[in-house]
Parts: sequence; C-alpha cells; structure tokens
Amino acid sequence: MVTILANGFVPESLAECLELKAKRSLTPYAGGTDLMIEEDRGGQYLFLHKIPELKRIREDDDNLYFGAACTFTELLESALAPAILKAALSRIAAPAIRNTGTIGGNIGNGSAKADSALIFFVTDSALKLSGSKGERLVPIQDFYLGRKKLDLQPDELISEVRMPKKWLSKYDYQKIGARKSLAISRLSFAGLFAEENGAITHCAVAFGAVSDVIIRRKDLDSLLIGKTIPDAKAAKSAYIKAYEEAIVPIRGRVSAEYRKETCLNLLKDFLNKMGI
Amino acid sequence: MADSMTFILNGKETVYSGSATARLLDVLRNEYNLTGVKCGCKEGECGACSVILDGRLVNSCMTAMGRVAGSGVVTIEGYRETERFKALDKAYASVSAVQCGFCIPGMVLASECILSKNAHPTEEEIREGISGNLCRCTGYNAIVKAIGIAAKEGDGLW
Amino acid sequence: MKEISKSVRKKDHASKMSGGAKYVADWSADGALYGRLVRSPYARARVLDIHLPEMPEGCFAVDRRDVSGENRVHIVMDDTPVYAGETVEYIGDPVLMVVGHDEKETARLAKAVKVDYEELPAILNIRDYETVFFDYNYGKGDAQKAFAEADKVYEEEFQTGYQEQAYLETQGMIAQYRDGKMTVHGSMQCPYYVHGAIAKALGFTPDKVRVMQDTTGGGFGGKEAYPSILACQTAVAAYKAGGKPVRVIYDRREDMEFTSKRHPSLCTYKVAVKDGKVIAMDIDILFNSGGFTTLSAVVLQRGIIAASGVYNIPNLNVRGRAVKTNTVPTGAYRGFGAPQTFFAVETVMNHIAKDLGVEPLEFKKNHMAKQGDATSTSGKYHFPVPLPDMIEEVEKASGYYAKREEYRKPQTGRYRRGIGISLWFHGAGFTGSGERDFIKAVVKLHKFADGKVEVLVSQTDIGQGIKTTLSKIVANELNVPLDKVFCENPDTDHVPDSGPTVASRSLMTVGELLRRAAIKLRGQWVDGEEQMVEEHFKEPDFIIPFYIEKFRGDAYPTYAWAVAAVELKVDTLTGVHEVVGAWGSFDVGTSIDLNIVVGQMEGGFLQGLGYSSMEQMDTDAKGRIRNNSYSDYIIPTSVDVPNLQVIMHEEEYPDGPYGAKGAGELPLVGVPAAYISAMEQALNGVNLYHAPFSTEDTMKALREVL
Repeated sequence: MVTILANGFVPESLAECLELKAKRSLTPYAGGTDLMIEEDRGGQYLFLHKIPELKRIREDDDNLYFGAACTFTELLESALAPAILKAALSRIAAPAIRNTGTIGGNIGNGSAKADSALIFFVTDSALKLSGSKGERLVPIQDFYLGRKKLDLQPDELISEVRMPKKWLSKYDYQKIGARKSLAISRLSFAGLFAEENGAITHCAVAFGAVSDVIIRRKDLDSLLIGKTIPDAKAAKSAYIKAYEEAIVPIRGRVSAEYRKETCLNLLKDFLNKMGI
Repeated sequence: MADSMTFILNGKETVYSGSATARLLDVLRNEYNLTGVKCGCKEGECGACSVILDGRLVNSCMTAMGRVAGSGVVTIEGYRETERFKALDKAYASVSAVQCGFCIPGMVLASECILSKNAHPTEEEIREGISGNLCRCTGYNAIVKAIGIAAKEGDGLW
Repeated sequence: MKEISKSVRKKDHASKMSGGAKYVADWSADGALYGRLVRSPYARARVLDIHLPEMPEGCFAVDRRDVSGENRVHIVMDDTPVYAGETVEYIGDPVLMVVGHDEKETARLAKAVKVDYEELPAILNIRDYETVFFDYNYGKGDAQKAFAEADKVYEEEFQTGYQEQAYLETQGMIAQYRDGKMTVHGSMQCPYYVHGAIAKALGFTPDKVRVMQDTTGGGFGGKEAYPSILACQTAVAAYKAGGKPVRVIYDRREDMEFTSKRHPSLCTYKVAVKDGKVIAMDIDILFNSGGFTTLSAVVLQRGIIAASGVYNIPNLNVRGRAVKTNTVPTGAYRGFGAPQTFFAVETVMNHIAKDLGVEPLEFKKNHMAKQGDATSTSGKYHFPVPLPDMIEEVEKASGYYAKREEYRKPQTGRYRRGIGISLWFHGAGFTGSGERDFIKAVVKLHKFADGKVEVLVSQTDIGQGIKTTLSKIVANELNVPLDKVFCENPDTDHVPDSGPTVASRSLMTVGELLRRAAIKLRGQWVDGEEQMVEEHFKEPDFIIPFYIEKFRGDAYPTYAWAVAAVELKVDTLTGVHEVVGAWGSFDVGTSIDLNIVVGQMEGGFLQGLGYSSMEQMDTDAKGRIRNNSYSDYIIPTSVDVPNLQVIMHEEEYPDGPYGAKGAGELPLVGVPAAYISAMEQALNGVNLYHAPFSTEDTMKALREVL
C-alpha cells in the first residue's frame, strides 16, 4: 500500500513504486544524505525504505546481489558482502551517515567520489534498472555517461547491484580523505588481483574522486592479464605509463598534480604488494 | 488528498500531516519543541542533531519526514527518562565530559548506540562510534572515558 | 592534590546533559520576527542604491539610516559600522537586514533585495597592503651592535593561516524593544561589551539597555567581539519592530564565512648568533586584519610581546603591524596573536640549532628565561619558570630524546616518522594595564536569608566551567557546601561588570576577587540575614608598571607555561600525516578543578593540532572565504588523535586564587611549532616555514627530499 503524504509517497512494493515513478515526476529518496544537504528542496519525494525488493542481499553461484536501498551499515553487517566492499563502506563518513546512506543513492548521485561505486567499478558489477516497461542490466561503467550524467530513464530506478564473485579475494583499497572520519574522498583507489600457476589471471584497478567519472580501464589492465610475474614486471613501466596518460585529474580542494602523483604512487604500491 | 502519517516519537504514537520533505530536525525542534536536538550544520557533518531512528543513530538534518513514516524516533528528551541515561549521566559527570554542551545530546545518543551494539566496547570502538559527532571543546578524551565508565558501571543495562 | 583541585559535578552538567539547557536558537519563535543580513558580494565597492522588493505587511528592512545612535560598533577603535556606510570593505560586509515573519519568507526577501554597487579596487593579499591599522615598535639592548658583532645572521620568513573557531553553536542574537528599553540576549562571551556597543549604536543611556547571555555553545574568542556587531544590527532592527522580538541565528556557512577568525600572519625573523648563542633578534610581524580593526590592536600587542618566545634575548627589536585587506575581519581566537609568533620563534630556533649541529631542545635550554630574568618588554619573570621540569615530564611521557635520535637516522620505506617539541608561555590575563585602567572589575556576593549565596559577576560559562570553579572558590572560603553557592547566566541588569570572559583572566582575576569577597562575607556573616558584599580590582604590588606606548614593563603579572611533543607518521605515497602521539605538560598554577582544567588542556591541545594540519582556510581570487562548511573546514574528530596526553604541572601564583593562573588559551599556543618540527624530521630534515601543513604540502616537500 502506498502512503500518500504532502510532497511524498511511501510505497511498500517495487511494483507500486515503479507505477508512481512512471506517472509522476518524483525524486527518489534512498538515504537522503546527499539530497537533504540542499536548503531549497522543492518537488516531491519517492521514499524507498519500505520496499522489500530493494533491501534484499542474496547470492547465486556466480554473483552477489545487493538491493539498492541497502544502507552501508546493513551491508557492513551482512555476511555476504565481500571484504573489499566492507573496506570501502567502513570508511564512508561516520556511523550516522552509514546508517542511512544507501548504495543505490551513492551510485545514483552520479559522483566520482562515491566510495561504494568505486568498488562496483573495480569488481565489474552491473546495475539492475527497473522501470515501468521492465528491467535491464547495465554494467556500471556504461551507466555513468559523465559528471552527474547517468544512463537512467525518468521511469527507472536503480534496484539492485550484481557483483561477480570471482576475483574478489585479493584486493587493495586506499582512501585519502582530509581526516580519518567524516571525510569525503579526495582520492580513492581499489585493485583486484589473481594469479594461478604463475600467471596473472585477473588484474583490475579503479581510481575514484579523480575525474568526472571513476576511472576503470580494462584495456590497460589487459596489458598484465595472462602474463607471468616476470613478464608482468617487464611490462610494469609500460602499464604505469599507460595509466599516467589515462589519468586526467580535475582540480578541487587538492591540485590535479597531487591527485595524479598520488594515484600513480598507489598504483605502484598495489603492483608491489601483488609481487610485480 | 494526502494521508497523515504516524510515527513513534519518544515512545508516543504521533500523527504528522506536514510536508514529507521537511527535515526531521526542523519538525522536532519547531513543531514538537524538542530543542535538545541541536542544529550545528544542516549538512550531516557535525552530529549535533543526532537522534535514534529504529534503533540506529541518524542525523535528523539528513532525514526527511517521509522516511520516518511508521518508524520510531528517540531524542534526548525521551532517552533521558531511561536507566541507561542515568548511567551515562553519572559517567559523563564523573569526568566532567560536558563543556559547552552543544554536542552533548547527540553525543549521548551516539553513546547509547555504541553500547546497545556492544556492551563492552574497546576504546577504539568507542572512538569510532562517536566519530561523526564533532566536539570542539573537549578533545574527546573525557567523552571516550565517560562511555567506557558507563559500560563498566552500567553493566547489565546494555 | 589540594582539596580545591578535587573535581566536582559541574554546575551546568545536568541541564546540558539532559538537553534542557536553553541556547539562543531554543527560544520559542512564536510572535518573533526573523532577521537576515544582506551582504556585499564585492571585496570593495561603493554602495550606490538599495532597492527593496515589495515587502509584505509587517516585513521591513533596516540599514545605516536606521541606526539611531552612532553607526559604529564599539570594540576598540570603533571603525566597524553597524551597517555598511558609503562603501563595503569585504565580501560579506552587511549592508542591511531584512526582517520577516518566518525563516523562508525572510530568506526570499533578502535574496530579492537589489543593491547597486560601484566596484572599487580591492587589496586581498597581506603582502599588498596599503593601509596599516597599527604599527608598534619596541626593543631592548642594542640590536644593531649585536648584529654587527655576530658570527652568523639568519633570516627566515614564516607564515600562518586563518583558523576558524568552529564552535558547535553558531552565532545568534535576539533583541526586543519594549517600554523604552532594549533587551538583547544570545550567544556571547562578554555581556558588557555587547551592552556598551548597543548603547552607543542606539544612542541610549546605559540603563536603557539590558543584555543577557544565553547558554553558549562554545566561543574560543569567536564570541568576544563579534556578538557586539550582531547585537547592534539586531537591536537596530528590533527598535523598528514595534515591540516584537527579532531573532537572527546564523547558519553554519554564514558563520564560517563572515565571522571573525584567527589573523593570518607573515613574520620575518633576523637572528644574530655569536659563540653558539643567539645574541639578538630583529623581528618584523604582519597580521592580516581584514576590512576593519575590530580587536587587531590588542591581538597584535600580545603577538609581538611573545615574539621572542620563552628565551632570554638580550638585544631585541620588534616591529608589528596589523594591516588592512579587503577580506573578512579577523579577531580573537584562543591564544590571541601569540600562536603566530610562537610558531615563528620556535621554528627559527629549531632551524638555527640544526644549522649549528645542535639538538634543538638543548639549544633552546641554553636560552630559556628563568625567574628574575627580564621579559621581552623589560619587565620581570617574577616567579619560577618551571620549563626544565616540564621538559623532563614530557620527555618521560613521550620518549622524546630516544625517538628524536632514532628518527634522525636515514629512514626508508613508505612511512616516515618524526618527533618535535616546543616550549611556550601564555601571559595570564589582559596585556599591560588594561585590567587596572579599563576593566576595573567589580564582583558581588549576594547572601540570601536562607544562607544561599549568589555569585554576581559578568563571567560567561562558555563550556570552560567558570560557573563551577568560581562557585567552588566562594564555597571554599565560606566553608559552605557547594550546592549553597550558585551562579546564573549573566544579565547586565543583575550583575556588576567584572569584565569580559577573555584573555584567560576569569579564574585568575575574577576568581581572586571573589575569594576576597568571600573572606569579607565570612567576616560579616549573620545567619538569617540577607547580605551583600562587593570587591574591586586592585593591581598586585609587585608589578612593574607597563607603558603601552613604549611596550615597557610587566606586560603580564605572571605566565602559564607549556611544553609539548608531537610525534608524526608520514605516508610518503600520499602525503597523509597522522599524529602517533601528542604529549603536553601544562602549568596553569593550581587547578581549581582538575577535570575541568584537564578538559581545557585536552581540548585546546587538539585545536592546536588541527591548526597545524587539517584546518585549512583560505580566500579565493575574489577575496571570499572558500572553506565555509564543516565538510570543507576540517576539524579533528574523535579518531584523529587517539593518543593525546596531558600532564599538569603546578607552579603556584601567589596572587591568584589558591595559586591559580590563566588557563584556557595556553594549550593551543605553541602546538604548531612542535608539529612542524616533527614534520621536518620525518621529511629528511628539510626546513619548513608555514602552518597549517597539508597532505599536499607534504607531497611537495617529499618531491624535493626523496
């Protein structure tokens, strides 16, 4: 049943929710932690906290599924959430924000500073977008079209994140904030790595809070995949050089130079840690 | 035609028929006169407006009223009636952890959320638990100590 | 421990703990009007015309034409207008106030006001100054001769940035004009400052103005002078509001962007060394005052008096200037000018020691002043200087020497460590003869027939616990239980002017007056009778008179002392620095309440660590403060410095109550020097010249040294 309020709707199922979204111009309200910062907030909200479909955390053989309205705290408390995701979530803001902020909201806000989105990039997660005409699954990298520009239709909602289970075990996560808590990322790095019988089977890195969109370059990472460790060592400088060109930082409270230098330092450190 | 919504405010069923987009902080302060809920920034950055929503600490400035529909909200005005508050009150007083006092209502509710999750937290867990509640006066040591004392002295309450 | 030092339950604990304490924003807004300031978007401009939008019934605006008295806020020089005059002098300079029925309507109307400006050239950088607000010069010995005879002369320039008080409660004021009297209450440190300012701005006699302090959510200097400005603006609006209260409560961004903060500084030190000892200093200090003088004169005075640090420098020449820029006016912040110069003097001493191949702490020990030595202003350190013992205490707690030695060795790997130490004092109470010539504090004790005693002073409890400590002193002398003595938030209709709550003076000066008043009352005590006693300030006999024109004599009766060590871990990949430990020994004389004093030291120490590192605030190319929110002006959280340790050292001051002296400001003052010294060590011994020091600064320095 939908509770209809002045300036807001509280649906209790995904079907109700999508029906409302299709008919009206409503701002989805997930955790509210980005939305509520604005002083002059007009319009009407579509509250997502009572929709069971958006709160589910489940798995199958190949994938983990996180409902978009799961809060950071709910995921931190879930046995299914992988360590790399928890590493990032545990450093978001502070407890009160983690208790309300959701992954769907974090992604949907469209910022390259979104700490959970960085993990979804590096893990090659896909987003389930639900709309009045059905669902579609979009790789997160394709979902971000530019700064605050998303591949999302007016009738659609981010309903779930699908994260492949493979390659999650060996990871690196680094966040640079202005302090240890309550910090917005000034730079963040995530990497995944796997090797089998001396050959690199997987390598993925992503850089957050550097450009308009989180940087994830599979084409560059493929320079290392399939190589033996000695071969990878030989290719290391070319790999780093490729990222040096690929990373074009924007300037904010910290300079573009700082961002670039630190990104490359963290990339090199990641390779060191992985034995390259 | 809008429905009104109900929520449990400090243990009492409460009917609200105002805007769903209004800040919980403003509604608590202006409509229910719960001025123990402090406004420090309206941006989720200071924790002075912390309340407990369905058992979890949240910033009331970052919470729209629609989110509260059907939920339970506890502010310092409700919490101060509990035995747990008395234990915290005694502990905070014993180390003079209250200076200007503006962060304190939020800090007390953060203390409750630390202890209700873990009755015997380490110092690190205490620090983490109040890490979203800025205090400019104390340097935090006394507050951290107070929560530790409350955990010990109030053993069994949490 | 002395009996008086034993901690008690704070007088204001219960009301604050339970959320019941009433801060200014907690007053019911029923029937009140809301005021919102319209501010200049230009750093400097001529105000040509003001166009108001159509004002709904009961809404109105006030500007300088509505100021019934003088359009000047009484602070020191009274150059700050209540509302902008013909020109605006910084971005944020208030031109008018719009008053409306509710917050939203008032904000909408304020936004709709159109002001025509003619933009004028502005000065934004301290180095480009044209107007010098204050220019002081003093010295001793023969600096010129000493420099001529020196083996080596060092010259270095140091810079410090803004620091924002970031009290949790923003500024706020409510004013109401009824029956010929203006009543103003709000968040403030100094009710009588506000009182005097309103009387002047409205042209009222003092009896027609009443000021009351509401429970105040932190001040740190930020609510010393600024509330006078806001109160005048609000009172002018209330005068026009037909008896309705007008409330102005700042939001965080308005507060951070437009209220006073610590002066940025630029200090040049020339130091003459002969036979391994500093024989002279020639010091040039610039403080950035912003658009108006506010408290700059007195901030600068304290800064330049502290310029040669805790050292006995025989030949000294100090010049200090507070200069005008078209930026937000700077003012009082815990330490009041001394943090800037202590950073410079401690750092230059470190650099010289390094150049001479001496451990800085040993070098400093060779120059430390001791009891009986002359101060920078040719006054005298009348009482023991406990620094040697305090250094021992900090060494013991921190392991300074061993770590210093260890980290001196070449370091490799991702993380580098460093430890630094600094020594400082804080002159207790007002500078010079201010207490005797201007403040002339009066305190009263009112004994009721039932034996309860009310402390009547204008001191405000802004969190520092003054209600508790003053009550303790009175209860102790009267030999009555503490709950028989009480102290309310001051109301100028009810309390005498015992001076402002600033300068670490309240406990030492007002506390001593109350102690004497209590002794008097004890002597006259009659059970069952209502009685009143009064006590007036008297300067201690030992003081060498201070002459401000010459900066000569005892600038302070006594000094609070501090030694602090800071250990850092620096990430060479990211530039992130983390405080591994911070240890401080603080001498504020007798602690009137140990918990309260330790709380002051811990809080101030952490503010000092923030000032050294994450608390970065700057103006943009147009002169606007760009770090105007808690997400952009970063103050420490509970997890940033988990290892912060405070040691109390007690060197009693005979003229303070039970040996107490000034406390509140001390713990912040010298922290940046210790922090930067630790940073230098972690960065292969490079010399650094500014604070705060950011992660990005670290990366820049690393590029040079790695």
